[in-house]
Amino acid sequence: MTDTVTPSRPADGDRTGVVAGWRAGRRRAKAARDEEFTAFVESAATRLRRSAYLMCRDWHLAQDLTQQTFVKMYAAWDRLRTGTNLEGYSRRVLMNLVFDQQRRLSGSEIVLAELPDGPESAPAGTPELRLALVDALARLSVKDRAVLVLRHAEDHSVDTVAAILGVSVSVVKMRNARALPRLRAMLGEDFLDH
Amino acid sequence: MDTSLREHFDRAVRGDPGADSEAMAHAAIAQGGRVRRRRKQLAVAGVAAGVVMVLAVVAGVNHRSPAAVAPRMTLVAASDCSVKPVQNHATDVVILPGDADGHVTDQMLSRLRSDLTDDPRVAALSFENHEQAYQRFQRLWPNDPDFVASVNPNDLAEFFRLRLVDAATYTAFRTQYAARADVVSIEGRICKPSAPVGGIQ
Repeated sequence: MTDTVTPSRPADGDRTGVVAGWRAGRRRAKAARDEEFTAFVESAATRLRRSAYLMCRDWHLAQDLTQQTFVKMYAAWDRLRTGTNLEGYSRRVLMNLVFDQQRRLSGSEIVLAELPDGPESAPAGTPELRLALVDALARLSVKDRAVLVLRHAEDHSVDTVAAILGVSVSVVKMRNARALPRLRAMLGEDFLDH
Repeated sequence: MDTSLREHFDRAVRGDPGADSEAMAHAAIAQGGRVRRRRKQLAVAGVAAGVVMVLAVVAGVNHRSPAAVAPRMTLVAASDCSVKPVQNHATDVVILPGDADGHVTDQMLSRLRSDLTDDPRVAALSFENHEQAYQRFQRLWPNDPDFVASVNPNDLAEFFRLRLVDAATYTAFRTQYAARADVVSIEGRICKPSAPVGGIQ
C-alpha cells in the first residue's frame, strides 16, 4: 500500500501522533480491563471452583474448568463488562464446560451417571451404604446435578437457575423435584426432610 | 431441609485445595488474550478470502499487520467499487474524522460537515454514526457473532461517506482534506453510480 499523502508533509507529525496516541490508548484500556478482570477472578474463583467440584468430584478437573471459564470470559470481556450479570454468566460458561466434558466422557469408558446399583435401592438410612454428597450427586444426570448445585449449594433463585441454564422455570422446578428425593434417598438419614 | 442440604454441600467442599486467584487471572489474561487476537485474525482472514477486504488507511497503518488493526478501521469495499483505495480518480470517498489522538468532538464533526456540505466538488454526503456503523458491522460478520459481540458500537468510528461530482478532482480534494487536523484518514474508490455513496458496504 502506498501512502495517501506525500511523505515529509507537516501532517506526518500528526500521523505518527495518531498511531502513538492510539497505541497508548489501547495500552491504557488494556490495563484497566485487566485490573477489572483480575478483581472479578479474585471474587469469583472460589465459588466457581467449588461448584465445579460438586459437578465433577475432582478438584484438579474443577480447577481446570474454572480456569477455562475465566479464559472464555476474558476473551469476551469487553462485551461482558458492561451490563452483564457476571456471576450468572460465569456459571453458565462453567456449566456448559461441564456438559461438554460430560459428553466427551460418555463417548469413552467412564460414565459417572451410570454407576452400578447405588444405595438408592437399599433401605434408606442404612449407615454403611450412605454416600458422600459428591458421590450421590454423581449418580444423578448432569443436568439434574447442575440444578441442585446452582439452587442449593449456590442458593440461586429458581429464576436465576433457569436463566443460567437457558431452560424454562418449569424445567428447573421439575428437575429439582425429581432429583431432590433421589439425593435424599442416597444420603440416607443424614438428610433431614424439614 | 435447605439448612441441612446446605451443610451437606458446605461439608463436601471442605477439601478445597485452593488456588492462587491472581495467577489464575494472569493465565486467563494470557490465554484469553490469544483467543481475542486469533478471533480478530480469523475474522480478517475470512474477509480477505471471501468478500473483499480493505483496511481504512489510518496514517502509518501500512506497516501494521492486519491482526493489529482495530475493528473500527475495517472498511469493506462495495461490490461496484474498486477493491483498494485509489490515489487518483476516485468517485467515492470515506473520511474518518478525529484529532491526532483519534478523539472526535461535536464541534469537529459539525465544522467538517459544513465544510463538506459547502464544497462544490461534493455531490452527495452522508454521515455514519456509531450505531449505524455497528449495524453495518453486524451485516458484515453474520457468521461470527462472537466477534461482533466483542465489539461495542463506540469502538466503531463515525465517518463521512461522500460522492464527488467529478472524479478528476479527487487528487486535490484528498490532499486538502488529509492535511486537516480534524481528519484521521481519507480514502477513495472508483465506483459505478449504482454503488452506495462512499463506496463501502
